[in-house]
Amino acid sequence: MLRTLLISLLFFLFISDEADAQQAYPKRPITTTVVWSAGGGTDAVNRVIMAEMSKELGVRINVTNKAGGVSGSIGMSSTLRKRPDGYNLVGLASSNVSAAVNGGWREKFDVWYPFIVGSSPDVLSVKADSPYHSLAELVAAAKKSPGSLRASAGGLGSNHHLHLLELSKIADIDLSFIPYSGSAPSQTAAITGEVDLVITSMAEQAQLIRGNKLRPLAMLHPEPFEMLDGIKVPSAFIEFPELSKNLPISQAIGFAVNNKASAVVKRQLADAFNKAMDSSEVKDWARLNYYQLDGLYGEPAQQEFSRLESLFAWSLEALNANKVSPESLNISRPN
Amino acid sequence: MIDQFLQFFSILFDLVSQPSNLLILFASSFIGILFGAMPGLTATLGIALLTTLTYSLNTDTALISLLGMYVGAVYGGSYPAILLNIPGTPAAAATALDGYPMAKRGEGAKALGLTTTASLIGTLIGLVFLVVLSPAIATVALQFTSWEFFLLALFGIIISGSITSQDLVIKGWIAGFLGLFLSTIGRDSLQYFPRYTFEQSQLDSGLEIVPVLIGVFGIPQVIRVLSDRETLGKLTKLSRVLPELAVIKRNIKHIFRSACVGVGIGSVPGIGEDIAGWVSYSVAKKTSNPEEQKKFGQGAEAAIVSSETANNACVGGALIPLLTLGIPGSPPAAMLLGALLLHGITPGPTIEIDHPNFLLEVTAILFLASLAMWANGMLLAKQVLKLLQVPPPLFIPVVGVLCVMGAYSLGINIFNLYIMLPVGVCAYFLSEMKFPLAPLVIGLVLGSMADESLRRALMLSDGSFWPLFDRPVAVILLMIIVGFCAIQIPLVRRGSSAFVNRFFRRANRK
Repeated sequence: MLRTLLISLLFFLFISDEADAQQAYPKRPITTTVVWSAGGGTDAVNRVIMAEMSKELGVRINVTNKAGGVSGSIGMSSTLRKRPDGYNLVGLASSNVSAAVNGGWREKFDVWYPFIVGSSPDVLSVKADSPYHSLAELVAAAKKSPGSLRASAGGLGSNHHLHLLELSKIADIDLSFIPYSGSAPSQTAAITGEVDLVITSMAEQAQLIRGNKLRPLAMLHPEPFEMLDGIKVPSAFIEFPELSKNLPISQAIGFAVNNKASAVVKRQLADAFNKAMDSSEVKDWARLNYYQLDGLYGEPAQQEFSRLESLFAWSLEALNANKVSPESLNISRPN
Repeated sequence: MIDQFLQFFSILFDLVSQPSNLLILFASSFIGILFGAMPGLTATLGIALLTTLTYSLNTDTALISLLGMYVGAVYGGSYPAILLNIPGTPAAAATALDGYPMAKRGEGAKALGLTTTASLIGTLIGLVFLVVLSPAIATVALQFTSWEFFLLALFGIIISGSITSQDLVIKGWIAGFLGLFLSTIGRDSLQYFPRYTFEQSQLDSGLEIVPVLIGVFGIPQVIRVLSDRETLGKLTKLSRVLPELAVIKRNIKHIFRSACVGVGIGSVPGIGEDIAGWVSYSVAKKTSNPEEQKKFGQGAEAAIVSSETANNACVGGALIPLLTLGIPGSPPAAMLLGALLLHGITPGPTIEIDHPNFLLEVTAILFLASLAMWANGMLLAKQVLKLLQVPPPLFIPVVGVLCVMGAYSLGINIFNLYIMLPVGVCAYFLSEMKFPLAPLVIGLVLGSMADESLRRALMLSDGSFWPLFDRPVAVILLMIIVGFCAIQIPLVRRGSSAFVNRFFRRANRK
């Protein structure tokens, strides 16, 4: 009994490291609260970037998950309530911008000072033995019998869903959207043939495409995509150039600190963030997992999030799926 | 095949030859058991916490600690279930039904030994399925679309209604419907429509299972023991923990059947250990003869063996779709997926191309993890039993505090306590009125799955119920459900037993 206890203690000692107490910030461990559950993209990206940043900052960064509420509202409001001293970060992504219009909280997204790590582009795929071999064929079939093709793209109001809506609008087709609780069940539904097409990110689909379970038709991204083993996917923008008006809607995975944090905190975080983004660990991980690194932070990142906020908010308004009108929250229309 | 076998052993040897691996294996298995044994800390949470710690380790070592944790935590839930009637994890809830009566009879050591060994055999059988049959099982798992998920959930709910009522059968159903009602709280997952949320953003994501589980099982038990209305099991003598071979042999059919149930449930995406224990428990009950059936709920060996074998076999089952398709088969497996992604391994159809022998490696680690669990379990069981010697007035308040901490630790959210306490008080009064509470928890676990799947299925079929009769797996599930309901009706039951007597037992009479 005692021996096993000692062993387990040793186990923990091995993998925890000491804080460096020289500079003003950070002096003690930082906590990053990821507002989506463990195992997802936001969680994985945050764990990788935090591990690198902790080397730069010289303190441990604990990554915890606090999912729940609407669009991550519980994790975001609990982090925002804490003192803005930079010891509490929040791990988030673009889908979180709809928390306010969904009634999760009453804050606009500019309460954060965000750091965008990156995003994985969205891809439209069909089952491997589907009759459709190109986006044109799919669109033609959808035009022939409107509403007969079923599409999955994560949950209602996710960035994948927004991509689907935008594609339907520009290509002038009627696809019936079937909501699932996330990307993984959406993809499974496409493999089992429950739905005819699926839109999720390349990072999530890569293994299924390479394993010949899904056939990629088009990227919802301006550039074509070449996978590590040479599979090429064309861009949907070639056939439908108007897509470029609002697309791509980036996943904008990253983290944020309370905007009220001091300039010192922001600068320290930015330095560590820049160095971590430059590290080969992060670059390799992103390349192998089909993420495109971004690196925006501070004001430019705030602008990007406010663009996303208005896109998400007004798309949900058009679907009548929101609870609070974007107007009452002072969210401007996308131009 | 032989080639694979040899490779398996060489991987095994490689892993064992590093002492640090063994150290981490036993330590994480031990921590896993503690996690499982603490009310509120589950396998899912354990793996999530360990993921951060394993980031700097190499992949093998990380997997050893994660799988050690997973197997240990699924098993550890049985300790408080047997000793205190408070399941440590949802997966062990079915174990409490018969484990606790056994402990009260003074057979705690026997119960723990039996569940430990059953868990080991369950994990090992799950592992064999993982190596040998994973492509076939993955294909069947892909037959599960929204209709099948709905039927599976419905089956679980129907089973729960007929389980464990001390006087009136209808009380089980009433508790089950209460659970279904609780499961409707929160935003509905298809259209985000708020239901019973009272503008509370904390209620938007619905009720968490763990605080409700602790409220339902923990609080009433603490109240009952402290008010002297219930006594804990007495430890008469430190009897032998290691079960005799004869006992294992007597239950071998339950072990094998439950392992199959566990692997099956585990391989279906999205549902896991908690359901496996229940389904296996009720299948064991329904397939036993009437005399044995009467023993269920009074401390039957077959019952604890069934639920514990199934929930551990589920681990192997849950890894099947995870490794072959990249779809996690259970909530802890979803965490495992996250951990693998961090280590640059994306499970899926191409896993054997990207990482040759990965499946065998996982199998070898799972094998080690189950042995570590058994060894730790056998050592721990004796010590844990001694806890019963602590006078309840000292022991039970500590359990109460642990319950509160367990509920809070889930997402470090104080709101969980606001759920746990009222649920606990209501559950206390319900149990005083002799309502079985297990169906309430099953209703909560399965309610949202039934609701969401049925509505999505109808959305897909434009409101038609026809696909239900059109899909092979759906038809099989439907037949099981109809058959199950039919034998509840006395007339049908009498008729069918008369039919069996007339045509199948006649030979015996001659």
